[in-house]
Amino acid sequence: MTRDVRALQTVGKATRYAGAILLMLIILIPFLWMISTSLSSVKAAYSLPPNWIPRHLNWEHYLYVLTVQNVFQYFLNSVEISVSITVGQLVFCAMAAYAFARLTFPGQKVLFALIISSLMIPLQVTIVPVFILMKWLHLLNTRGSLILPALSSAFGVFFLRQFFLTVPRELSESAKIDGAGNFTIFSRIFLPVSTAALSALAVFTFLYFWNELLRPLIFLDSQSKKTLPLFILLLRSMNGGGDATEVMAGAAIAILPIFVVFLFAQRYIVEGIVMTGIKG
Amino acid sequence: MNYRNTEMIGKSLEGQGRARKLTAKHRDWFDAYLFLAPTLLIFLVFVFGPLVSSLVISFYKWNLLSFSQRTFVGFRHFASLFAGHSSARFYLIYGNTLLFVAAEIILFLLVGLLCAMLLNYQFKRPMQYVLRVGYFLPLVTSTAIVAGIWAFLLNTNLGIVNYYLGVIGIQPVPWLNNPYWAKASVIIFDVWKNFGFYTLVFLAGLQNIPGYLYEAAEIDGASSFYKLRRITLPMLSPTTFFLLVIGFINSVQLFDSPYVLTDGTPGDSTRTVVMLIYQDAFQNFDLGKASAVAMTLFAVILLGSIGQFIGQRRWVYYG
Repeated sequence: MTRDVRALQTVGKATRYAGAILLMLIILIPFLWMISTSLSSVKAAYSLPPNWIPRHLNWEHYLYVLTVQNVFQYFLNSVEISVSITVGQLVFCAMAAYAFARLTFPGQKVLFALIISSLMIPLQVTIVPVFILMKWLHLLNTRGSLILPALSSAFGVFFLRQFFLTVPRELSESAKIDGAGNFTIFSRIFLPVSTAALSALAVFTFLYFWNELLRPLIFLDSQSKKTLPLFILLLRSMNGGGDATEVMAGAAIAILPIFVVFLFAQRYIVEGIVMTGIKG
Repeated sequence: MNYRNTEMIGKSLEGQGRARKLTAKHRDWFDAYLFLAPTLLIFLVFVFGPLVSSLVISFYKWNLLSFSQRTFVGFRHFASLFAGHSSARFYLIYGNTLLFVAAEIILFLLVGLLCAMLLNYQFKRPMQYVLRVGYFLPLVTSTAIVAGIWAFLLNTNLGIVNYYLGVIGIQPVPWLNNPYWAKASVIIFDVWKNFGFYTLVFLAGLQNIPGYLYEAAEIDGASSFYKLRRITLPMLSPTTFFLLVIGFINSVQLFDSPYVLTDGTPGDSTRTVVMLIYQDAFQNFDLGKASAVAMTLFAVILLGSIGQFIGQRRWVYYG
């Protein structure tokens, strides 16, 4: 009897493992094809059935993307834009969240409701006036046009406020009696105890803006300013439809930094997404 | 400083009269506005200002190329969208968008939940790690980049998808070249790209369901279907509601994947509302019409969100 149950459990466990692995491989097919194609010769890349393992490793497409196309420039642009936005959001959203979570002031409820209601105003709705504004400010085709409007977000303010509400009042009250001002309490108490929430917001914000397409597509004009997603569109548009090998080498290089970070900080990133997801 | 000391100082402060208290209060007011200033400024200049401007611009004929000339046209853009010569295309594109919204929300929730149930298990250490990387890699990569990969995979004659379908005897599918299949391609791609988020949130939801509920049901001899129907799904309803709201707001703004996969083709069969705004404003330079379309999208998001919050009372179970 117990032996039967145990056998049944082993079978159940094996099916679960097999199912999970099989599904994972199916999910990963596009990435596997990307790597295999980027390393194939142009001729082999289009052959059917596909050669999943290239006979010779052709690094020439990577060389082409790295040198002729200067992918590094696009990479730096992406880094500069997403890092600036992430740092800005951490600072400004945390400040606003502190005011909403810990201070009382006239207009508090109205301002908070206003900021929360803007969750229903996606940037696509306001993209035309924002574009005109950037034109007036002579910021079109600059990284600033992407960075400035994104330096704070309703989501970030709301998310951090929810977290700050859970910080025990005793912590800040005793500091206050010691004569600490709000700025000290914010920077010495709230920021240090909120590293989990801050890093979750950082992960979420960085990924969002690293992957963003619409605003860079509209605001950035010259090649030297463009970001990695735009670079892939550029590669695809060359030679009428793009050469699969070169596009895949470009895609692999563009995905690599995120993939490496994901490998090392996987648990952290996954928890960050869950945290922003659940509390948001 | 121990607790008693704090209390004593607190009492002595109270005794020091109103003036001091008032200044402390004003100090907090001042600090609050100071802390809020950057966020409020950004929201005023880049969110609320533009929202109002968008409404105003929608009443004007305004071409990006003759930027200094504007003519007031009242509701003409709206009239043309809803009943005039732009209306057929406008309704077609809204139809596409709402179809994407409905299909994607259903599939996001379904696939997300199924994968969460598959992964809700104590896998051995390295396996756990490998699975997490594998399942959530699409989620952390850029839509524009991975859609670029998919465009090759889905190619009718050269793509590997049709090749392997051919191996099992299925005729080549015109994935990106037929109005129906193109829609299906966008939906399949988006599910592949985004299901990870729904899986992650459902996983967290599943792990929050107390084990004793299942144990009690097992003692009563409940079937697994019964447990799913009577315990898992009701306990997940707040999570589901949250994901429904997120799913609606995200898919109603769909742009990246159809833009890269099909650019709205064939015809307008995969064009979405945001693609229409983009095309009107930045390819046809018609700022007034683009703003009018943007205002309709805002109205849809507003009504959809309010509708969901009213509807939730009927089915969301808050323990």
